[in-house]
Amino acid sequence: MAVMSPRQWALTAVVLAIMLALPLVLPAFWLSGILGRSLVYGIVALSLTFLASYGGFISLAQTMIAGVAGYTVAILAPTAIPASSSALSYWLAMPAALVAATVAGGVIGLIAVRTRDIYLLMITLALAVGFSLFAQSNIDWFNGYEGIRNILGPDIFGYPFRTHLVFYYVSLTVAALLYLLVLYVVRTPFGLTLQGIRDNPRRVSALGFDVALHRVAAFALAGFIAGCGGVLITFYNIGITPSSIGMTATVNVLVMSVIGGLGHPIGAFIGAVIFSLMDTFAATVYDRNRFNTLIGLVFLVIVLVSPDGVLGFGKRLLFWRKPKAREEQTGTH
Amino acid sequence: MATHVERSFGALRAIRDVSLSVAAGERRAIIGPNGAGKTTFFNTICGDHPPTGGSIHLFGEDITSLKPHRRARMGIGRTYQSSLLFTGLTVLENLYLAVRGAMPNRLSLWKASRGDAALSKARLLAQQVRVDNILEARIDAISHGQRRQVEVGMALAANPRLLMLDEPAAGLSAGERPELVKLIRDLPRDLTLILIEHDMDVALPHSDIVTVMKDGEIVVENTPDRIVDDPVVQAIYLGGALA
Repeated sequence: MAVMSPRQWALTAVVLAIMLALPLVLPAFWLSGILGRSLVYGIVALSLTFLASYGGFISLAQTMIAGVAGYTVAILAPTAIPASSSALSYWLAMPAALVAATVAGGVIGLIAVRTRDIYLLMITLALAVGFSLFAQSNIDWFNGYEGIRNILGPDIFGYPFRTHLVFYYVSLTVAALLYLLVLYVVRTPFGLTLQGIRDNPRRVSALGFDVALHRVAAFALAGFIAGCGGVLITFYNIGITPSSIGMTATVNVLVMSVIGGLGHPIGAFIGAVIFSLMDTFAATVYDRNRFNTLIGLVFLVIVLVSPDGVLGFGKRLLFWRKPKAREEQTGTH
Repeated sequence: MATHVERSFGALRAIRDVSLSVAAGERRAIIGPNGAGKTTFFNTICGDHPPTGGSIHLFGEDITSLKPHRRARMGIGRTYQSSLLFTGLTVLENLYLAVRGAMPNRLSLWKASRGDAALSKARLLAQQVRVDNILEARIDAISHGQRRQVEVGMALAANPRLLMLDEPAAGLSAGERPELVKLIRDLPRDLTLILIEHDMDVALPHSDIVTVMKDGEIVVENTPDRIVDDPVVQAIYLGGALA
């Protein structure tokens, strides 16, 4: 009952060790602008991948849930503009944001109990766009179109959060913990039941499980993960605006997940890195304004050539070179 | 016990006024041509398709309006006509899930340890249904016959009081069939069993009473030795007008 083979665990440890050592060789721009950014957006993509890979749900509400967490911390945080007399410490605002995101995830789950497939996709997209428009039109709490700025994040051991190293290491730690959390959860009775529901909800029900309850719980957990990403993204952007959780941002997270591969949680981070690299360097190889065309083309090619993303392409390449690798995959997923 | 059970899908009346009483420990076979309503009747008992009329009682309790998972917790175990297993999981994980379904704390976030009781029971079940040599194989990598054996194992996982097997021998090769017959024969004798089966060599030796359905209705009930000579049954299976 292993989610990864010993070789895959060893590879994960090596990648983690390399990422821990990267600040020694990479300039600050790469740490926060590419890798740090990939990690925090990858966390939101991870929540989508978790639902898709193990629950069989494609939810476009994950960016919205990240936005719920982001706005919660922004509204409650001490540096919020407009200033609030009831401002809390970041250390209280962050847990409150995660609770709000978890609850929001659970509410989406209640909807998902009754819908699936394209209907779930459309409803979650409508909710995401609706929340963005609501934030844009509400001045009292969300500060309308301007959003809430100057959210710098807490000091970590006396160092400002916005320091490149601090941001990178905090993002890496949170991303690694959430990644390991997902790998752990999918091996628990809850996670196995969720995969059973993905394969055959009717059978799961006939075994005595409450399918609806498991779906809601899965969405709540995904909400917690997206919330962690939402809080970090708010600190990364030094605030939050309606456009940062709008239609484009929603689709971007989906593109990251699909490009990386929905078959395994690591795909979310692979997709986020590719997305960030393209977003950053598209201007140098082509035209910054053509980024959407470029990412759209890459998305199209990935979907056509390798529907299970870069991860699936890599696996096929490995199996092609080493047929025995396929046998190692038996019993792992 | 089913009393005047009806099930309609729009204008189609799949089950019409079906009443069936099965005593505790009894073994009942339900036979009939395709489209007779046998599986639909199973689904009304399990709750997949709740009846649109009539009532269903299990060991004295009215379960007519209960959801499928509630019925399963009351002691109904079943298999399906087509294997409904979790293809992305291993044999052991399928059996483990089936065991967990009958236990409290189903939302548990504690991973099974090596000595976990549910895991141990899943391994025992695997031995019972003779799939203990393929525990770590994924369902999509095992044979059809092995899938049927896993299905039976999963249905037995919760120590059901009523076991319902829907065409367990369907699609099995001649070589796989004896294994399944032996498995059914070795089931605990105090277990109430309802079996849908087209293969008379599988259905008749394992039943105390045989119920024949046609066009959503029960047409005959009798003991296995008498059912084969029944003119109505012969008319159904060999052709000809019903009396």
